[in-house]
Amino acid sequence: MIDKMTHDERLEQLMNRLAESVLGLSDEAALAETSEVGADPEQEAERTRFVLRQASKALDNVTERLSNLGHTINSNGWRGGRWGHHFHSTCQTCGSFVSFTPATGEMRGEALDGQCPESGQFAIPRREASRK
Amino acid sequence: MAHLLPYPESPAPPLPPPRSINASPKSALLVENDQSLLSFLRRSLEDDGYAVRTAANSEEGLRLYRDCGPFNVVLIDYCVPPNYGFGIDYLAPLQKHGIGLAMAIRQIHPLQGIIITALAYRDAREVPRPLELMHIPLLVDISNFQLRSLLEKIEVERAIEALTSSELLRLRQFAEFRVRGLGRAARGRTGEDLLQEALMRTLIGAEDLQKGRHWNKDVDFVGHLTGAMQSISNHWKRQFKETEAYLISEFPVRDAEGQEQSPLDNVASEHAEADQRLIEQDEKDRVLTTFKDDPEATQILQDFLDGLKKSEIKSRYGLDERKYAATMKRIRVKLLGRRNGGGQGEKHDR
Repeated sequence: MIDKMTHDERLEQLMNRLAESVLGLSDEAALAETSEVGADPEQEAERTRFVLRQASKALDNVTERLSNLGHTINSNGWRGGRWGHHFHSTCQTCGSFVSFTPATGEMRGEALDGQCPESGQFAIPRREASRK
Repeated sequence: MAHLLPYPESPAPPLPPPRSINASPKSALLVENDQSLLSFLRRSLEDDGYAVRTAANSEEGLRLYRDCGPFNVVLIDYCVPPNYGFGIDYLAPLQKHGIGLAMAIRQIHPLQGIIITALAYRDAREVPRPLELMHIPLLVDISNFQLRSLLEKIEVERAIEALTSSELLRLRQFAEFRVRGLGRAARGRTGEDLLQEALMRTLIGAEDLQKGRHWNKDVDFVGHLTGAMQSISNHWKRQFKETEAYLISEFPVRDAEGQEQSPLDNVASEHAEADQRLIEQDEKDRVLTTFKDDPEATQILQDFLDGLKKSEIKSRYGLDERKYAATMKRIRVKLLGRRNGGGQGEKHDR
């Protein structure tokens, strides 16, 4: 089985073993290894937290922008792009396309060009109605 | 706080002891005066595993928060009354005591996850709120689905803030090695890209990998993200294999002694770029070359390449746990150091 593996598969196996080995590190060892690589552990850790926050914020921003334009995007309707750099979806009301890249926050698509032409067509102005 | 709730004190009903709420794995404070909504939201939260405290007005909500907070999530009705004894006109456009309560809670705990229920509005654009609460999640549609999405987001954000430095570093290194194992299939993606993709799919939250990845709260957040990264990197690899033509150099060829060689190893090329690319394909050999002066590291790496288990490697070379761990550390530090110092040269072409 191993003999039939390509260079590629062997490299993947090796790196995956190294990845798994990281998970078993103690807190002290994880911090110490980062220092030995020549980086500041706290800075690296906060940079990683920033990367995670950035992805969440990118989703917030695109959702808010689309909402401001009257588009309706199902939060579960986002799909990853083929090569994983961006996510895309379509307005449930008008069908226009939108995509964004979590790493950069960049947004694209016709949905960003203007107000959703169908927005408000079926909406009920609830503010005018009593809640009871 | 008095300026945010400028209403006369009135007697509040006695509250149950606050301790039990903090003993629950997930806790929620629900500030809602509409009985039918209160009942619906409470049931939804409890179905999702939250221990719920309720308050019928902003004053009581703030007192509960001070006594029992922080909570995993606080749900506040935009139009909640300030306190007991007030006749509330639900149609009045300026009834926004929920916003005052949200501001007061954020002053106590700036990172407290809060959802405002604004069901009197048809969409988020119409809900007046101060700039500092512009990004607060709003529930404008009374559906379990929207509530679940918002709760999931708040839980994820809370989990991000709770990650320790060592957990963050482990996640980062895990991502780096997984991407490195992809070789050309990485297509220029970095460990950060993998980590962000794992989080995005968590936020999207569906159970199908193509759409998202639900965080089962029985698994800790680090375990969830590493599992997501494994699935995503495997998915990237499959996609690459399905669509990408292989270079001739990727087909293994053996010489007379049974050693693997690229069929182009001995072919001279006048194209430096092509040569460079072929060299980069053989990352496996580059890794081994890095440790040519470290026999123990070379042995372990070679055995990893051959698929041996940790126990087999240790017994084969008589390594105790301490020596094995020390060698693994040298390998990781050197490879990550090489990557950090390698700059663009370490990245694969998109």
